[in-house]
Amino acid sequence: MTSGTTEGAWDELTLSEADYRRAGARYRQRRSFRAYLFVLPYFLPFLAFLVVPTFWSIWLSFNQGGLLDSAKYVGLGNWRAISSDTELTGAVKNTAVYAVEAILLVFTLALLLALLLNRYRTGSNFFKLALYIPLLAPAVLVGLIWQFLTNFDFGFINLVLQALGFDRLNILGSGTLALGTIVLAEVWRGLGFWTLYFLASLQNIPEELLDAARVDGARGFQRFRRVTIPLLRPMLLFAVVIAIIANFQVFDTVYVLTQGGPAESTSTLVWFIWKRMFQFQETGQAYAAAVLLLLIILGLTATSFWLLGARRRREA
Amino acid sequence: MADPGLTVEAAADTSPHASEYSRAARRNRFFRLGKGLAAYIVLAVFAVIAIGPFLYLLSPSFRKSYELFSYPPQWIPKTFYTGNFATILHETSYLRWGLNTAIFTVSVTLITLVIDTLAGYAFARLRFPGKTVLFALVLATLMIPTAVLIAPLYIMISHLPGWTHSGVNTFPGMILPMVASPLGVFMMRQFISTLPEALVEAARLDGASEWQIFRKIVLPLMKPAIVVLGIFTFMFQWVNFLWPLVITTTDDMKTLTVGVASLQGQFVTNWGVISAAAVMTMVPVIIIFLVFQRWFVQASMAGALKQ
Repeated sequence: MTSGTTEGAWDELTLSEADYRRAGARYRQRRSFRAYLFVLPYFLPFLAFLVVPTFWSIWLSFNQGGLLDSAKYVGLGNWRAISSDTELTGAVKNTAVYAVEAILLVFTLALLLALLLNRYRTGSNFFKLALYIPLLAPAVLVGLIWQFLTNFDFGFINLVLQALGFDRLNILGSGTLALGTIVLAEVWRGLGFWTLYFLASLQNIPEELLDAARVDGARGFQRFRRVTIPLLRPMLLFAVVIAIIANFQVFDTVYVLTQGGPAESTSTLVWFIWKRMFQFQETGQAYAAAVLLLLIILGLTATSFWLLGARRRREA
Repeated sequence: MADPGLTVEAAADTSPHASEYSRAARRNRFFRLGKGLAAYIVLAVFAVIAIGPFLYLLSPSFRKSYELFSYPPQWIPKTFYTGNFATILHETSYLRWGLNTAIFTVSVTLITLVIDTLAGYAFARLRFPGKTVLFALVLATLMIPTAVLIAPLYIMISHLPGWTHSGVNTFPGMILPMVASPLGVFMMRQFISTLPEALVEAARLDGASEWQIFRKIVLPLMKPAIVVLGIFTFMFQWVNFLWPLVITTTDDMKTLTVGVASLQGQFVTNWGVISAAAVMTMVPVIIIFLVFQRWFVQASMAGALKQ
């Protein structure tokens, strides 16, 4: 644009104000157009495969059918059907119990391991690698592995129980133990990820702040409570939000380990949706449950921001 | 105020002797050693918990299934039985599933890298109307569960508008819906925002076009972020189960996750065969992981800091 001769460039300066404004508008238009070209390759699949299906799902939750046949409008029928469905309330409860147990357990263990790895650096690479390996296993394999660990006849847990003189347990066949097994399986898989996440966050804390606290006489736990935790808060907020979104969608391990059983005791929300959609062909109810899941996740995310985010603003 | 002489005397009286100092120091050292030992024991226990179950799978994969039920258990088989692996190779489409998985994960990763880098650059450095709104929209979709999308996506792919045949059991049908994930755009935007703006400004003043700036200035600086996003996307798609489960109905289009899950129905209690499939699936990934371990660990840690 400015590649003309010096003379030409000076001539441009003598344009009228309106000309300048028009040239500016033309430049901005061209600039925006180019920017849209950068965004477009992503936005085509984004709109087609993310935004449209979301609204479509919401619309279909007021319809019956739609998967193999055409949809038929039924108003609030699906919502009424699932609101009085004890299997759904059970699934919501199971999902919530699972998510709370899994998140609390994995965060506690991961924070502990991250603190240890941050303090004791010798050989920490080996431990990082070891903890990472379960992450490489798809949930299907995690499920298989845990079937081997919990099997009545040859499972490791039962062999240990027997060696210690206890009775063998039918772990996955028990209404009280099956959900716990799914929690343990998912915690086992996710521990490496969250340990590395917290370790990165800890290493991001300026050493001087901890040193200053040490000089001021703060003991180990006081330093952790008063310096480390407040500085970790933004990382913790992100971690909580991601963990909620991921854990409320637990499905793969349920599919492989228990198929929702015994007696629906491990039926989670996504399992419920899956069963209604592909086994019972009750697609309307499945959509309603899926939209319910979306609403739950939105609500919990907003709550996390409100609880953890607000305090950060006050302290800043 | 007390007499200064008196205080000095009192202080001298209560101050510990040199020997007490050294005893305290020794006690301190002892505690520290004990704490270090405890820390490494905890770490070692969790390392065993993480790796142990994989090793536990090795044993049944080399034994005949009925041998599993012997008691006391025989951990190390006397004879290595390789029939389970042969069964997997000859009686299932295992190798085909492996190929499908490779095509699926690599394609999704490559497409994601290209389009997310472009969009991330625009959101971080370019100016256009509606930028804030569009980016907020991208962020909001982070919260949308896959279960909400799965059925409409299935409907879209199976009755592709204007197509005479459905996209079920085709690679484009499997791959394209998975490239819309918003996480990469978010990560790329965060990373590009940390690059010095002066570089881009300087190139712009020198008359470089937006594409030249992106290609010659920004892209070379983005290698670390591209590696991080590449590994993240690859890992997500490698473990992806729900979407391949829905969109593949024929045996020869399954991915490994779906295929291995289907073995449970085919070889109901043939645990030897099932564990052999699990071992065959894990060994290549663990090898890839150990070769590129530095990148994997760094990617996870860098990913954590990009928020």
